[in-house]
Amino acid sequence: MDLENNSEPTIESDATVNYSKIWSVKRTAILNKYTTGEKLTIISSYLPGGEKISSFSALLRQVSNLNEKVKHRLEQLDDFDESSVRKTMGLSQQEFVTKIHMLDDEIKKAWETEQRVKAFKIAIQCSKLLSDISVMQFYPSKFVLISDVLDNFGKLVYDRLKKKSFGDAAIELEDIDSGLVPESARETCQNWMFKMASIRELLPRLYMEMSLLKCYVFISKDEIKPAIARLITMIRGIGNPLVAIYIRVYLCKVASALYGKESECYFHDNLKEFLEEYQQIFQPAMAKKFGAQLLTADKYLSLYIPAIDWLLYGTLNTIPCKLTLLDELLQLCDKTENSELLLYCIVSGFDSPNIIKKSSAILDTIKKSAEHMVLLSPILSALGEHLCHADVYRQLSSEALSQTWWKIVSNMKSTANFLQVLEPWIQFACTQLSAQHINMLLRGTIRYMIKCGKPIDDYSSQIQLVVKRMLKSIPDVEELFLMDAFMPLVELVQTSNARTMMAKTVLLVFFERCNSVQIEDHIIIASLMRLCCILHEAINAVTVEDELKISSDLINKYIQTVSYQDDAREQLNFYVECRSAFIKLDSVLKTLVHAVHALANRARPSRSRWLSRACAAYSFVTVPSLQCALCRAQLYLLGAHAALLVACVGQAEANLKAFVSLIPDIPLYVQEDGQNKPTHVKVVGLLSNFLSTLLILPDNVDSSSKAYILSGFIKTMERIHWRKTDPLYYTLLLRTLDLLCNLTQEKYIYHIDGVISNDELYGSEEEFIDVLENYATNICQELLVVLKALGDAKETNKQYNLALELFWRIIKRGDLREGSMTSLAINLWVLSQKLQDSNNKFAKTLLSALERDTSEEGRLLFDKLNET
Amino acid sequence: MTASLTISLKRVNKIYHEGEIIAGVVIVDTAADLRHEGLTLTMEGSVNLQISSKNAGIFDAFSNNIRPINLINTSIELAAAGKMPIGVTEIPFEMPLVGRQSSMSLGLLETYHGVFVNVMYTLKCSMKRSFLNKPLNASCQFFVQYKQQERPPSKPVRCEVSPATLRAGGGAGAARGTVPHFQLYAEIDSTVCALDRPITGKIRVDECSVAIKSIELQLVRVETCGSAEGYSKDATEVQNIQVCEGDVRRARPVPLHLVLPRLFTCPTTATPYFKIEFELNIAVIFEDDYLVTENFPILLLRSK
Repeated sequence: MDLENNSEPTIESDATVNYSKIWSVKRTAILNKYTTGEKLTIISSYLPGGEKISSFSALLRQVSNLNEKVKHRLEQLDDFDESSVRKTMGLSQQEFVTKIHMLDDEIKKAWETEQRVKAFKIAIQCSKLLSDISVMQFYPSKFVLISDVLDNFGKLVYDRLKKKSFGDAAIELEDIDSGLVPESARETCQNWMFKMASIRELLPRLYMEMSLLKCYVFISKDEIKPAIARLITMIRGIGNPLVAIYIRVYLCKVASALYGKESECYFHDNLKEFLEEYQQIFQPAMAKKFGAQLLTADKYLSLYIPAIDWLLYGTLNTIPCKLTLLDELLQLCDKTENSELLLYCIVSGFDSPNIIKKSSAILDTIKKSAEHMVLLSPILSALGEHLCHADVYRQLSSEALSQTWWKIVSNMKSTANFLQVLEPWIQFACTQLSAQHINMLLRGTIRYMIKCGKPIDDYSSQIQLVVKRMLKSIPDVEELFLMDAFMPLVELVQTSNARTMMAKTVLLVFFERCNSVQIEDHIIIASLMRLCCILHEAINAVTVEDELKISSDLINKYIQTVSYQDDAREQLNFYVECRSAFIKLDSVLKTLVHAVHALANRARPSRSRWLSRACAAYSFVTVPSLQCALCRAQLYLLGAHAALLVACVGQAEANLKAFVSLIPDIPLYVQEDGQNKPTHVKVVGLLSNFLSTLLILPDNVDSSSKAYILSGFIKTMERIHWRKTDPLYYTLLLRTLDLLCNLTQEKYIYHIDGVISNDELYGSEEEFIDVLENYATNICQELLVVLKALGDAKETNKQYNLALELFWRIIKRGDLREGSMTSLAINLWVLSQKLQDSNNKFAKTLLSALERDTSEEGRLLFDKLNET
Repeated sequence: MTASLTISLKRVNKIYHEGEIIAGVVIVDTAADLRHEGLTLTMEGSVNLQISSKNAGIFDAFSNNIRPINLINTSIELAAAGKMPIGVTEIPFEMPLVGRQSSMSLGLLETYHGVFVNVMYTLKCSMKRSFLNKPLNASCQFFVQYKQQERPPSKPVRCEVSPATLRAGGGAGAARGTVPHFQLYAEIDSTVCALDRPITGKIRVDECSVAIKSIELQLVRVETCGSAEGYSKDATEVQNIQVCEGDVRRARPVPLHLVLPRLFTCPTTATPYFKIEFELNIAVIFEDDYLVTENFPILLLRSK
């Protein structure tokens, strides 16, 4: 049905307001909002199982006695002719909707089979359903459903008359010239109108005339507007206010589809009519009815809201000076009783600038009757939302407004309503008022919450919303933490779940908004610490990965932003405190270690060495508590680097020693984003880094063996049961070989200031060189074993690469004067050439590099290689 | 061998005024050549009167039908005896609409469908055929309307209804003796009404101590049939429309808007044999079914 609604011809003189589009939005909103679990009743003779068509034409009923006649009619008022009309009771909402759709289909079917009168009668019956208000909370939705049916019926009639007049020519409504309509079409149209005018009951007659309104164009275009004006006044005859306002909505909808912008005056007229009838809503009879349906007064009043909204919407588009209208309406509110419904619609319907202008007047009106208002909280929160849009300027009236508001709101009985209203108003306060004032409001809120005597945890999500609103709207987010009532408000909730949620929200928004890189204020630091601790406390064995990640991200951010400027001792203390507070989170510990290193590094030039040592010690003590071996290894290495930078050799050695002992524990796979990721790339990087570090690390002269750490490493490598063909394994061997070669150099390629590396320490001492050479020989042999293993495993590509890599190392670093070396190189070359695949770029590059070698041995080797 | 005869008028709405010419075609559709003894077209108009059993005296108990009064009866021959060719033959015709010219004649009255009085006009076409075959017949109604007069000056009427003004016989409620307190104001814009314009007015409930269930506007025809033996007068409902439903807001004028139905209404007519008059009733029904009515005689005219 939606599609058809949208395709309805609309005359738009002003493209900016597309009423049919806006209606379809409102239509959906109504259908979603007004639902019911009550059982519904439908009265119709056209649904399956229904019997004969009842005789509707009461025209010729011959009852001579007037009283008898009237009695008879009145019986019919309550019920249809029982022989033919069926009352289906106990329908669920969904069933009701289906039945209405069935009636809609039935109209189409009847229409297509030339039973036009039947279609007309079904449409009448549908509109009659709208006089039934037995399940009030569904009434707006029922109205929407039935108005769709009526629209469709009107369209059928219109289309047929159009076809009768102009054939299939696509002619728009505004182009139809009534004078050109052929006699027969005009006659048919007139017949429809006569038929409609003789419908006995008022409500169906009005609805049917509205649905046929645009057909007047086939008689005379000039009749439409007077007809609308007449209908507006005729609706006065509908006594039930709910039925009356919705038929006004339908009239405006039909008029807007016909005239677009021009129809706005009808919105206004209808609104005026409604205001005249306003008190009907509060009739005792209506109160009895909604009371009997167990509806609360605010629910009852909310049934009117979409209708008034719609009337007000059109009216506002036509009024040149909205402020004058607002003034008028507010005066009306002041004068009339029960003005809350109107007031609510005014506040939600007008635009913010005008409402803001009148806000104090509105508040005064509210204040006068606040105790009796059932819509108090919606009105206040709508007003608050408007005020949030006020330009940022601090002025006296804001304070006065807020004070008046507080007086009203602090007497509210329902805590939920109180918090609902608080939300927009606190934003208003945050944007407009001073910190003291906000603080006062917060204190008041806490007092209210404690006084209300209900478990505060029931309202935790609402409090959370309030806090979030504040954090988002206050210009300087840090200011909030300086208010003495803020943290108590945040910690008002008691259950751990609610507390965690609250802390998370606050931290999230805080870091979103906080634009300063560093937080220096002690109060803020302490408050945030408190919140982070709450987050941390909530972590247990069953906490899911995502939660952990969010929490640790927040805490990490906190750690990174806290700064004690030049007071390194304080800063370090802070880190120590954090470590003890957040011991459960690996990633936080990692961040702490990094932060400490950064601190040590930052402080280095000006500080005495105690800080560096303290930091190094901190990291060395912290790392073991991490879960993941890979992380630990990384941090140890980092610790070693940091220690070396401050020439703290002992510390560096300890770190590296710990590192080496960790190597066997590094897992092959780590969990990352819920997936198992292989670690080998990381391990290669990490170990290469480690080996490069060893170059500068001075050897432990107290130990019995030379190259203490390196031997430890090589021993560890031997201890691990490697798969010989594992690329990780032989790559590491190659890198170790590289290191060994470099260690034997007389002057190392890099140093760190203040650290005496082995080149100076040993000065190429023979014993030291021998040890290294020994290792190198072993590794070379091991590599040859690997080469063979690769050959056995038919890993030719790997074998080829490894052969060339080794070849390159031998010709660059080996002593080519020794025959064994040369022959090894030649053998490797031959092996590689044998394996050579199409892509021998690597070999060619090596060869050309060798060609440029000017040494005698190089020449010799080159010649030999060329011979093979 | 099938053949059909239909009359088709040129004017779609079939409404004619006295003195106009009724034009149209007689369509003969035959599956084979059709031999016939002549094709004639007759225009008839008559008033049928009926006396309601309630009012009929002992005198005419044997029959409450009165002989119809003939208004027009003319006949022309469309085709002389001969043969119709196979297929569709259209025979155009034109007949002037002129009433009988005699001293007793009523002239041409407007078409009207009532309960005791009916004014009807028909065109009948008849094709005589050889005596073995039945004659073929077709008929078609058409409607006669008066020419539009100048609009008469409107005669508004106002009235106030309260328990004090209540006439006796106000209905069942009065018998119960519980008359609620109320004050109504009603207004009809004119009691002289043009037939093709709606009757308008307004009604206002100024005060009412009980809830109102419904306010209705009823159009009533009063038909009087007279003969030498006596006459009968009957009021019957033509149409009843609701103008208020439920307990309406007090002191708010609610418009009355009644479209006069076609055929069932005609200009108010008085002849020596019968009279057709119309009245409006405004009926207010209270929550307890107590009923108050106010009656307005109206004059219907064919005017602009």
